[in-house]
Amino acid sequence: MSDRLKVFLLLLPALSVIVVLFFGGLLIGLMRSFNYMPVIGLTEPDFSAYVSVFTDREFYLSFMLTFYIAFVSTVISSILAIGAALLLRRQFVGRAIVNFLFQLNLTVPHLVGAIGILYLFSQSGSFARLAAEWGMIARPAEFPALVFDPYAIGIILQYVWKEVPFIGVIVLANMQSIGEDYESVARSLGANRWQSFRHVLLPLVFPGVLSASVMVFAFTFGAYEIPAILGANYPAALPVLAYRKYTDVDLAARPEAMAMAIIIALLSAVMIYFYVRYSRRRIRG
Amino acid sequence: MTHVSLQKLTKVYPGATEPSLDRLSLEIPTGELTALLGPSGCGKTTTMKMIAGLLAPTSGDVTFDGRSVLKDKPEHRGVVMVFQNYLLFPYMSVADNIGFGLKMRKVDKPQIEKRVAEMLELVKLPDLGKRKPAELSGGQQQRVALARALIVQPNVLLLDEPLSNLDAHLRFEMRDLIRSLQQEMGITTIFVTHDQEEAVVLADRVALILDGCMKQYDRADVFYKRPVDEATARFFGGQNFIQGVAGNGVFEAAFGHLELPAEAASGVGKLTFRPENIRLGSADRNTLEATIAEKIYLGTQTRLKLQLGEETIDLIANPNDAEHLQPGNALTINLPPEALWVLQS
Repeated sequence: MSDRLKVFLLLLPALSVIVVLFFGGLLIGLMRSFNYMPVIGLTEPDFSAYVSVFTDREFYLSFMLTFYIAFVSTVISSILAIGAALLLRRQFVGRAIVNFLFQLNLTVPHLVGAIGILYLFSQSGSFARLAAEWGMIARPAEFPALVFDPYAIGIILQYVWKEVPFIGVIVLANMQSIGEDYESVARSLGANRWQSFRHVLLPLVFPGVLSASVMVFAFTFGAYEIPAILGANYPAALPVLAYRKYTDVDLAARPEAMAMAIIIALLSAVMIYFYVRYSRRRIRG
Repeated sequence: MTHVSLQKLTKVYPGATEPSLDRLSLEIPTGELTALLGPSGCGKTTTMKMIAGLLAPTSGDVTFDGRSVLKDKPEHRGVVMVFQNYLLFPYMSVADNIGFGLKMRKVDKPQIEKRVAEMLELVKLPDLGKRKPAELSGGQQQRVALARALIVQPNVLLLDEPLSNLDAHLRFEMRDLIRSLQQEMGITTIFVTHDQEEAVVLADRVALILDGCMKQYDRADVFYKRPVDEATARFFGGQNFIQGVAGNGVFEAAFGHLELPAEAASGVGKLTFRPENIRLGSADRNTLEATIAEKIYLGTQTRLKLQLGEETIDLIANPNDAEHLQPGNALTINLPPEALWVLQS
């Protein structure tokens, strides 16, 4: 058996999962979004689902909201993660414990986190009650709307809480493999602390930050459960909107749901492309 | 132009029981090129980092022209360190690497470009400014690292194993470049190395550090002729140590008497002499009869192991002179008194 064949056979199980589940699902979704379903006699593909999606104002509002959530969550998480990694790479007493606590919520599912946010930050949640108890506000309902709110603060909070350790762990490993000698060189060439971070460490860890944050961006742009639990009813995030269309009593809305799913996939790909290009230029420049 | 002084410089790393560097004192005169020589892990790089301000000493002081610099931040010391693995910033072009120090000092762009071009010329890489470090050979990277350090006109230049990553033919080229630049600019330069040959070819003076302590600080040739102790002599390739007693200009060993140079110490000790300083044939003084125990041909030299009574000594001879010599043969040698040295016990 040739080596190539061996590698191919070894990769086959993983490849078949990716091809069948991912590309297969994408292909079926694509077909349905074009109203092409031979099983029920639809053999003439058309663009009607896309037309109705693109002429719907709610779609644009949802898109803007989803983009905003993904972008803000990714940027805030990345910045906090870099800061956390900078602290955690230092030697200090109790570093192992802090490191453990920092990574702890990697094991907590998103849903559990979302429910936690709900319990803590909603207008009937713990913080609202405490604030009312301590006389900071008259009634719990006066607590600022952080959940189901138009600025999606609850959603962003949940994503940041969950993604900071994810990006942080990757960046920390990255920083540790780079070591401190590059910064030492920069310092001895006359760079102050900030300059050696900005011009040396940041560009060196940037590829790691970028790949981690792209994953976070793609995830937060396409995720359903968090905006479904913590989001406002209108406008809803795109995946929530797509799911609503999919479960609509009117079966004719299904192709629209599929069209939205395809658009989400395409937009994610395009935005990731530009995000990577733009931020690489910013950091290297 | 800076006189560097290290005063009882000591470093104990957190959690360590033994100091990595133990009370190192050293005076490095303005404009000199000094080597810190020692085996791996003897505290050389630690010393450099403390001079550069990248590491705080546990105790002791570093002064430049009499002024303590321990409180100065690394970027304000006027010290540039060139690391062993060069550490060029991989995402910057060669020109940006060299101009880095000036950019940090907020020098304006045209000025930086002009100076970078001069530096590239100086290290003989005039056309490589636009390349990325990964596209350069090791020797070229070394030159860029040197240019990047020299462009900021440091008062003190620190080099970590500057020749050790280079091929034999590049070593001499780099050595000449470092020496000429250093002398032209008059920068007080300290480099560390574990390789005594590197120290000897490059430095004005050598400080030998063993086990975190300084053994000897002298011109390079003194280490060969007049080592302070056996460890020092061995570090420089010394092989011959003979137990005996020195007194009245004579060394008494089991196999006989040897005449000593006037400045040799007296008392119980070890006689040492370099394997390359033993002469074949007889002379007026210190002629001995030995037996050849072993002969090893090494191309440019032949190494002989000689039996001298109970003692075994090493001799390095010209391969032509040693051609007819065979193990088992008797051999007449002589040890010129000026080649002998006594190490007191």
